[in-house]
Parts: sequence; structure tokens; C-alpha cells
Amino acid sequence: MGEYKYIGKSVPRVDAAEKATGHIKYMSDLSFPNMLWGKIVRSKYPHAKILKIDTSKAEALPGVVAVVTWKDVPGLNGFGIVVPDQPVLCEDKVRYIGDAVAAVAAETKEIAEKAANLVEVEYEPLPLVDDPIKAISEDAPKVHEGGNVHLHTKIVRGDVEKAFEEADLIVEHTYYTGRQEHAFLETESGVAKLEEDGTLSVYAGSQYPQRDQMQLSRCLALNPRKIHVVSYPVGGAFGGKDELTIQPILGLLALKTKRPVKIVLSREESIISYWKRHPMIMKYKTGVKKDGTLVANKVEIYADTGAYASLGGPVLNLAVEHACGPYKLDNVYIDGYCVYTNNGVAGAFRGFGVPQVTFAMETQMDIIAEKLGIDPIELRKKNALRRGDVSPIGNKLTTSVGTVAVLEGVKETDLWKNKDKIEKVDKERPWIKRGFGFALTYQGTGLGIGLPDYGGAVLRFREDGGFIVGVGIVDYGQGTGTSYAQIVAEAMKCPVNKVSVILGDTDLTADSGPTSASRGVYTGGRAAIIASKRMMKILKEKAAELLSVSPEDLEAEGGYFYVKNQPDVSISYDKIAMEFLKTSGHLPQTEGYFLMPIADIKIKDAFGLPHHIFAYSGHLALVEVNTLTGQTKVLEGAEVVDGGIVVNRQGFEAQVEGGYVMGMGYGLMEDVKIEKGIFKTVNFSTYIIPTVKDAPKRIQTVPVHDPEETGPYQAKGIAETVMVATAPAITNAIHSATGIRIFKIPATSELIYNLLKE
Amino acid sequence: MKEIEISLTVNNKPYKLSVPANITLLDVLREKLKLTGTKEGCGKGECGACTVMFNGRSANSCLILAPQADGAEVITIEGLGNLENMHPIQEAFVEEGAIQCGFCTPGMEMSSFYLLTKNPNPTEEEIREGISGNLCRCTGYMKIIKAIEKASQKLNEKH
Repeated sequence: MGEYKYIGKSVPRVDAAEKATGHIKYMSDLSFPNMLWGKIVRSKYPHAKILKIDTSKAEALPGVVAVVTWKDVPGLNGFGIVVPDQPVLCEDKVRYIGDAVAAVAAETKEIAEKAANLVEVEYEPLPLVDDPIKAISEDAPKVHEGGNVHLHTKIVRGDVEKAFEEADLIVEHTYYTGRQEHAFLETESGVAKLEEDGTLSVYAGSQYPQRDQMQLSRCLALNPRKIHVVSYPVGGAFGGKDELTIQPILGLLALKTKRPVKIVLSREESIISYWKRHPMIMKYKTGVKKDGTLVANKVEIYADTGAYASLGGPVLNLAVEHACGPYKLDNVYIDGYCVYTNNGVAGAFRGFGVPQVTFAMETQMDIIAEKLGIDPIELRKKNALRRGDVSPIGNKLTTSVGTVAVLEGVKETDLWKNKDKIEKVDKERPWIKRGFGFALTYQGTGLGIGLPDYGGAVLRFREDGGFIVGVGIVDYGQGTGTSYAQIVAEAMKCPVNKVSVILGDTDLTADSGPTSASRGVYTGGRAAIIASKRMMKILKEKAAELLSVSPEDLEAEGGYFYVKNQPDVSISYDKIAMEFLKTSGHLPQTEGYFLMPIADIKIKDAFGLPHHIFAYSGHLALVEVNTLTGQTKVLEGAEVVDGGIVVNRQGFEAQVEGGYVMGMGYGLMEDVKIEKGIFKTVNFSTYIIPTVKDAPKRIQTVPVHDPEETGPYQAKGIAETVMVATAPAITNAIHSATGIRIFKIPATSELIYNLLKE
Repeated sequence: MKEIEISLTVNNKPYKLSVPANITLLDVLREKLKLTGTKEGCGKGECGACTVMFNGRSANSCLILAPQADGAEVITIEGLGNLENMHPIQEAFVEEGAIQCGFCTPGMEMSSFYLLTKNPNPTEEEIREGISGNLCRCTGYMKIIKAIEKASQKLNEKH
């Protein structure tokens, strides 16, 4: 890594000072003259027919400017990234308690709320669908006309039944995972505003402005060029702002009132109305030889996607793809169902189906290691996929495979080295038991085969010799923007502080696909390098002309071009900028686009599969369990991560630490409770996320890598894998501490207490 | 809603305002004074994003009604420092990488400010206690703790 000047260094975030001072304006901070407040009327039933909507009383309230219902939707009354099956405003049926039925715009927040309560909706309740397995049966009530199975994906390779006969040990268990809430600190918020030229500006934090623009154009029957979407900065997203949320309703209200309209969701409304991590029920049967060789894996997956599709299908498919872990398996039978219910809505969330199956598979692996008396690292190493191997679903892995690098790295962590010195039972408090746990995982980078997966960047030369890079990707905390600044600095041979970054704006940035699937650095970074190479050529030619040498004689460094072997003959970038302005009146601009590489084969009947590039990580946990109360405390954590070359060391650590604690919340505490379609945990005093007092004392972060030549400076991506295997590392540690096996997360105090009592 | 007159000092500037009696101090700061650095994350005192200094103590501004703020001294993130002249706490948050999405940051820094005001040399345990009312979903808190330790050093060197 010595050859890089800016890649791999710790660089403070480019937006850090603005955020530290409160100077930066999030979408919820915007206000415009003459602005109205919007409020959404949501369903009172989880499943019901709408008989009548009466808005007259709301409209009559002084201060109300507009009330909109389905009748006001000029285009398609539906949105959804894959299938637009979710109404902007429901017409004849509601399918979950947060379904939007109407919306009002009023002079004040208070009037808007009052008016929303005055919208009268007559419902006829329908039978509830709340169990994803029962929902599959033919006679179950239907959430959608077409039936409750949104997607069924089955992958069969080899012959599992025959392989089970040859196995020495079969481990069979059913696993359950919770409905995790993203709990971004900024709720879905924003402003829509009709400009004088008829353009609709939509300011709302999200993960893909160009797709928001496309979906909005479809709902609002507007030319996409007449919609300007700004989606950065965002107070957290984690997948929860990938799909549209409030944007189409904001658009409707602004079009109808011709005034700026602002909506800020309350925490309660945010939790009830939008996306969650899919709860899954997973039946696993794994066959293994005495020496630890995995021979067969049979997996059934039931994913509860709630009332609408959004990204439920792709989430299921990622679960199917990753169901066997990063292990060699030639006999697999993976049968997955993504099912509609009236349990809220589920969609994209960091990890995207992989945390669920990783919890199951890595518990299976821990059980196997224990039963066969094999070291957990050695068991995984024995089965680990390596470059050139065929994955469980049948594609050849031709890119970087970091399993061995990660497993070797794990052995070097402090936690692993000291694991045998753990005081298993506290001497002073013998009811406190300690244990160590480990789990391995991997995560596809990018959208997978068959989906439009590309990067785009626009690069502008600045008057002062610096650069502006514009990428449609949104930095909602991951640090992608800073990585782009480093990548451009490296490619353009100039200091990082000479690069400014524009993100998430349909007017100012190049479409670089969605900010999801750990693809931001890879796609935007690759595109930025292509744009930089073009820019470098232009600048070099100009410099050569000005210095009366040939471009080949020039070398760039620190914002200057030097003549090779004559270091005193040089010209600075800002002088070149000046020359451009003098001679042509404008500064050069370049663009870079590229297509994500794809795998060798397409998996039949499983759209998006396989992925081609993967990140790998090993997660470790030291826990103590209070056997009197069932409470688990994670004392220390560690992660070894192969996300390719690390672009920003500080950003890497931040992502790993944050991912670990989010994974800890998933494993121990977080589950949005829905009973009979009604949400029971709608705020932070009932839906508990980790506080600083829950966070471990220390999280060791170790980067390793198996070089990925196709990546921007050999980077891949880390955003998701860093949270994916934390939960099973912790539940495996709980087993090592107490002897009880956890088959259901979150492993709350109650769950552990009851298991200990049994 | 009936409007009432209140006087308060925000970031050393006196204000006389007529506000609806049922709005919160958070609304006064954000909507009336356009000091949007103070954030709303829950509106119920559960997340700490709206933390400000209120009469010398840290407080959730979403739990204070505007009439209760009559006569109060308030310091918000904008009063702590600005882009040209950052407070050592803000500098430390930037340098240590304690900021990701940044939405919890102002509240987190205000809680840190109160902590370091009453305890210039906090232990790690005391730091954790000091910011235990502030939720952060991005960072896992590790770098925030480091930033507060660094801010404490910076402030002690200054004095």
C-alpha cells in the first residue's frame, strides 16, 4: 500500500466540520417562505376494505389549504422498486396499519394534525394475515389478489438426501429472527416545492435520487426532467430510505397547493409506516462428515415481507444465496418464500437478508464444531470457499475470496489469543458466566446479475486548481463521500482538501445506481477514476502546451505538473485553470461510467443471483451472562474484515464499530413487536437500541485483504458485512458461557432466563 | 392556540418572543429562531438529539415547554462554536471521526459540554454515564468516547 499517497490514510470526513457545528442543513431543517405543513392520514386497521373517504370536515377547517386522496394521484397510484404494488394513497383497501389513505396541507403543523383527524374513513375490517407460514396455504385470506407468495426461489444442487445418508452427523434446527428497525435518528422528512419554471423540487433524504425521480415521475405524471431530487444530507438510512417514503405525498401536496410543503414524521409514525428488516423462519438440516467436511445443507426460508413488495424479493434471494455461508457445499436444497402479511412493511436493511441466514448457518457451524470436537476456526477453514471454487449455488468464484485471510486474521486478534484465559465463572459473583464466540460471513457487493448495476461520476475542474466530483450515491454516514475525495486526490495527484464532493442530487451528480449493497465505494470510486483519467489527460496536454514539452515528459504530484528530470520546471493546477479560463472561458469537465463486472453464470429462476464480488468478515464476542436475570453484556468485540483495500482507515473503523453495535442490538435486544397487525413498540422507550452503556468496552478492528484487482485501488465494500455476523458471534458466546443454545434472536433477558430455567 | 410573551437568552443574545403556549423550546429554537443545529429525533426525551444547555444544565429541549423557558439562559450547538471558530469538543469530534450521519452529533456534543463543565477529567465510565441519554445509530460510540477524552485534554491544556 506504500505506493498510495491518500488511499488507506485516516482522513476526517469531508462534511465533519459542518456536522460538528450544526451548520449543515438536513432536509428536516429546510424552510421556505409561505411553506405549509403536511400530515398523512394512515389506516386504522391492518387489513380492511375502504368503504368511504370523506374529507369535507377537514377541508372546512380554517387554515387547511388542501386535502388529497387517491383521486388526486395524476399518474400511477403505486410505487415500489421492483413491483409498484404500494398505493401512494389507498383507494379501496388498506393492507397494514401504516397505509396512507389521505394527506393534508395546512398553514401550521397543529392545524395539519387537527385536519388529519377530521378526515373520515369508513372501513370494513378483513381477516388478518399475520403468520407467514399459514399465509402460504391456499385457503388463507389474501393480502393481494395474486396470492400471498410474493416470491418463491428454490435452488437445488447435487442430491441432499443421498448426501445425508452418507453424513456422520446431521444437525437440524429451526431459527427465528426479529423485525429490526433501522432507527436512523432523522425520521423520514422533507420539503417539496414547485419552482417558477414548473419544476418540482423534492428535498428528502434518500438513497438513490435518480430512482426517486423515476418513481415520482410515474406517480405524478411529470416529465422526470421536471423533477429535481436532492437526497443528501441524510440523518441515517441503513437501507430504510432506499424505497420511496413520504416523497410522492409531498409531491402531490406541493402540486395541488402550489406552495412549499414540509412533512416531518414523528418517531411513532416512522416506526409504524415504513420498512423493517424481514423477520425470517429458517429450517436448517446440515450433514457433515466426522472430519468436519460439510456434505449437505437443506434450508427452508420464510420471509415476512409485510403488506407490500418493495425489495422483499431481492432480500429473499440474498438470503437464499448466502444461506450456506462461505463454505464449499455440493449438495444443497434451498427453498425460500417471501410472503405478504399485514405485519407492517419490510424492505431493505443493511445486510439485506444475510444477517438472518448467517445467524442460522453460523449457529449450525458452532454446533457442528462442538459435537465433532473441532476448533471453530479449523472447521471453517476446512470448508471455506477459496478463489476458483464453486459456490453452494453453483457459480465459480473468480474474484477476491477473503475467507482464509479473515480466519488467519482472527487468530491474531486479542480476543482469540486470550480466549482460553477467560475467567469462565466470576469468582466474586458466581452467577456471572463468561464465554467467547465466533462467526464468519460474507456479503455480495453490488446488485447481482441481470440488474442494471453501474457507476457514474462527473468531475469538474475548479478555478483554484481543485476538483468537484459529483456522484449520485448518497453518504448517509458511511463515509463514501470522503472516500471519493481520497480516490480523486489519488488519481488527480492533488491534496484531499482540494477535492469537493457533491452527492445525491439529480441535477448535479451522475447516476451511479442505488446507495445499497455495499456498492458505493466500488461503483462511484471506479467511475471517479475513469473521469479522473480523462481529466488528467486534458490537464496534462494543457500543461505540456504551456511548458512547451511533450505530455509524456510530465509527471503530476501535489497539484503540480513537473518535467521529469527537471523538477524546477513546473506548473500548478491553479495556473492551468487560469489558462483555460483565459483561452476558452470555461473549465474542463469529464465523466466516467462503467458497468459492474458480473459472474460467469446466471442462477436459474433466481433473479439477481449470483453476485460476483464479495466482502468477508469474522466477528468475535466476549460476553457475560447474568444467570439470575438472563441479561447478556458484550464485554469486548472484534472484527476481521476483508472489504478489499481500505480507502479511509478512520472511516473503516467507524463502520466496523457501528456495524458491530448495530449487530449486537439485532442479536440481543431489537424486535418491533406487532400483535394482530398492531405495532406495540413505536418509540425508543419500548423499542430499545444500544446506548453507550450497552456498547462493549472495546471493539478491535482488523482489516485484511485478498486483493480485488477490479476495485478502485483494489477496494470492495464493507458497509453491510460488518454488522452481519455479530449476532451469531454473540449467541455462540452465550452458549459457551451457559451451555444454552439460542435459536431465536433477539436473545433477550427473558428468553435466556427461560432457557436457563428449563 | 393562545400566544404568550417570553423572554430568553440564547447563545448570549436576548430574545423577546410571542409564541403559542403549547410549543416546546425545541420548536422555539428551530422554527422561531431558525437555529436548526438542535435536532428532533423522537420528540419524547428518549434520544437526546435535542440536547441544549438550559440554565447551566443539559436538557432535552423537546421536553421543555416554551413558557417554562421564559427567563432562561440557553446555549445551543451554534453557541458552542462555529465553522470559523470551533469549540475544542467540536474539533475533537471531527479529528477522532466521531461523526457519521451527524444527526446525533449536536446533542452528543452538548451533553459532552455539560459533562466536561462539571467534570474536566472524566473516567471512561463517567463519559459513558454523561452521554447515556444520547442515542447514536452509526458509530457504535467508540469514537465518541475517544473524542470526549481528547476534548477533555484539549480543554485542560487551554486552561
